[in-house]
Amino acid sequence: VSQVSRRALASTLVRSFAIQGSWNYRTLIGCGFAFALLPVLRSLYANRPDEFRAAVQRHTSVFNSHPYLTPMALGAVSVLEATEPPAVVERFKSAVRGSLGGLGDRLVWAGFRPACVLLALTAVMLGASWALVTGGFLLLYNAGHVALRGWALQFGLRNGLHLGEKLRSAPFEPILRLIRQAGAFLVGVCLMLLFDGRPITSGLPRGWTVLAMAAALTGSLLGARIRGPLVVAVAGFALFTILARILS
Amino acid sequence: VNWIFLGLIGGVVGLDATSFPQAMWSRPIVAATAAGLVFGRPMSGLLVGALLEIFSILILPFGAARYPESGTAAAASAAAYVVTDTGAPLDPWMLMLAVVFGLGWEQVAGASVIFVRRLNGRLVALPPDGGYSDRQVTQRHLLAMTIDFVRGAWAVLVGAIFGIVLLRALAPLPAHGDGVSTGVLIVAAAAMLGSVLTLFGGLRARAASFGLGLLCGLLLLLLQ
Repeated sequence: VSQVSRRALASTLVRSFAIQGSWNYRTLIGCGFAFALLPVLRSLYANRPDEFRAAVQRHTSVFNSHPYLTPMALGAVSVLEATEPPAVVERFKSAVRGSLGGLGDRLVWAGFRPACVLLALTAVMLGASWALVTGGFLLLYNAGHVALRGWALQFGLRNGLHLGEKLRSAPFEPILRLIRQAGAFLVGVCLMLLFDGRPITSGLPRGWTVLAMAAALTGSLLGARIRGPLVVAVAGFALFTILARILS
Repeated sequence: VNWIFLGLIGGVVGLDATSFPQAMWSRPIVAATAAGLVFGRPMSGLLVGALLEIFSILILPFGAARYPESGTAAAASAAAYVVTDTGAPLDPWMLMLAVVFGLGWEQVAGASVIFVRRLNGRLVALPPDGGYSDRQVTQRHLLAMTIDFVRGAWAVLVGAIFGIVLLRALAPLPAHGDGVSTGVLIVAAAAMLGSVLTLFGGLRARAASFGLGLLCGLLLLLLQ
């Protein structure tokens, strides 16, 4: 790490926000990884242009991870590029990409993000202003988002080749459990407000409320499978209404 | 000028969804509010965005999954809604049309994402001599992001135009009372919200937290 300037590391962290800019089905975020790592590589190979070019080419190869945790891989690779041969760096990248992807997916996409969205929806249903809903949501979410990226870079720099084993002992499970409990709580709050007709109206007729309760129970049993049929059903209802009106 | 701003919002929303910086400006609740704000009615945009958001929570961008793009579709749908609807009093049939249009347009926007990702594959494919210089990596990466920005602007502007045409043609045709449109939307939203519970472990595992949430919701309703 001492061979890499703080400025280069800061630049890499900023570039990591654009790591998925050239996402594609061939190399996934490979090109983005090289793009984000360029300041570090320039710092490490300052007077060795051939090695620099070779390193850039190596890092454009296939790579994938959760975008918010990619700084962890970038940090660790910054250390390894200075101390280990290229083959070790490549093996390391192959080894961590699956676990960083899986962890980020569970922690952020299926945990923190839906919980923040549910909080914003609760605010909408309680009649909060648009500025409070969107501003509050963006502030809360991005406080966690930016903090996670910064922590991930530090974690990668600190642990280098031992990233995998240190990651296993990090306290993600208690955090995830807390997020899930908060998420389930917010689903409950949102559903109760929805049963009243929010955010469209207030005081929904009892018959619709009972139907909504049955629908919520069905949804909780079927999970994500319900989305496709539900979208088709709502669209079908609208289409049926239009056809009935035209034919009458 | 409003349409230029809407295009810029579309570009930013499209870019945020995957490319840069994934700060969730691309969530329907934010994107639709921004589109409503452009035409002077952010609260109407927020209403469309909130309903589309409920349908989007379970869309998870795991790995190389292909999924509908809800952010640009929500912005297009909200723009069409606020341009077509007078807003006072609220027309639930029009709202339903806007939501249905948004749910359909997110499939088109999702297809445009797949197209750009395939294009990116050609853009960053290694040349025969073995690889790119650092400058070429930067240029190609930034070009891919520019294409994504243009795609987002296209998805919102074209979507909004289609939406306006559709809503203007179909809005005068309701064959039932407003209560039916509201009821159908609420029932569908309840089913979607119920399904979100599976993200957090399911009904059985989270019965206590979920039940407490229902009680708090009831308390909030009574207090209001």
